[in-house]
Amino acid sequence: MADKETVIGPETRISGEIRGDEDLVIKGRVDGKITLSQTLTVDKGGIVQADVDVKMLVVSGTLVGNIVASEVVQLLSTARVVGDLAAPRVLMESGAAYRGRVDMGDIEAARAAVASHVVAKPATESVHSRPAPPRMAAPPKSVAVAPKVAMKPPLAAPAPSAPPAFPRVSGAVSGSAPAWAKKKIRRR
Amino acid sequence: MANTVIGSSIVIDGEISGDEPLTIQGTVKGKISMAQNVVIDSGATVEADVEGQTVTVSGKLTGNVSAREKLELRPESKMVGNAKAPRIVVADGASFKGNVDMDV
Repeated sequence: MADKETVIGPETRISGEIRGDEDLVIKGRVDGKITLSQTLTVDKGGIVQADVDVKMLVVSGTLVGNIVASEVVQLLSTARVVGDLAAPRVLMESGAAYRGRVDMGDIEAARAAVASHVVAKPATESVHSRPAPPRMAAPPKSVAVAPKVAMKPPLAAPAPSAPPAFPRVSGAVSGSAPAWAKKKIRRR
Repeated sequence: MANTVIGSSIVIDGEISGDEPLTIQGTVKGKISMAQNVVIDSGATVEADVEGQTVTVSGKLTGNVSAREKLELRPESKMVGNAKAPRIVVADGASFKGNVDMDV
């Protein structure tokens, strides 16, 4: 059909709900709610104050409202958008003005993938991770230094507490690379 | 030309207003108030009060129409509601139920 596109002209205002299965181009003003299974384009000059649920969204105009797009959201350089945005792909051009929260969805899955990757690393690269600890292994060297410290009378008191501390550290190091790796994971 | 087209698979629930030609091929419920021509295409379903310069109906319209210039009911049209316009054209084949007010 030739009528596969709906246009809301610059001099038209709609308040209410728009639903549909075809592309929608807004050059005018829409207040309310928009639910589309296709692409919504808010043209330059278009003003939309609505919650938007579409497949694809392209904004060159102004949009205020929460956005859910099942595929992609594009904020072009003249776009001004306020509202939370949920879409697997989000593109923002230089010049686009946006305020709100972005949710690209399965970030948890991606995070989990990264985490499992990190966990896998120590197993496969434990040889590498041992050289890495030298930062932490350095303290043992300072254990050798510690006696010097201990020699200094004023620091004698802290010194005793210091040596036990180092063994603990070195113990942790020898205890495992996975130990500090795990700490890293926990931090994430 | 500035123009508003409501495509065949679009459903609007609410109010449409403005100052440009409006063509409806889909479904509109609520209210339509335009300063220019309104065309309700064949296949369109409108359940709304309609206000326009000229109102041309080829589809299905339920609601009151107020046209400043002319109301035209095309052959395949179905309209239920009151019509108010200085000129009203009803084509052969159009079905219409409602009051007519030509301001006489």
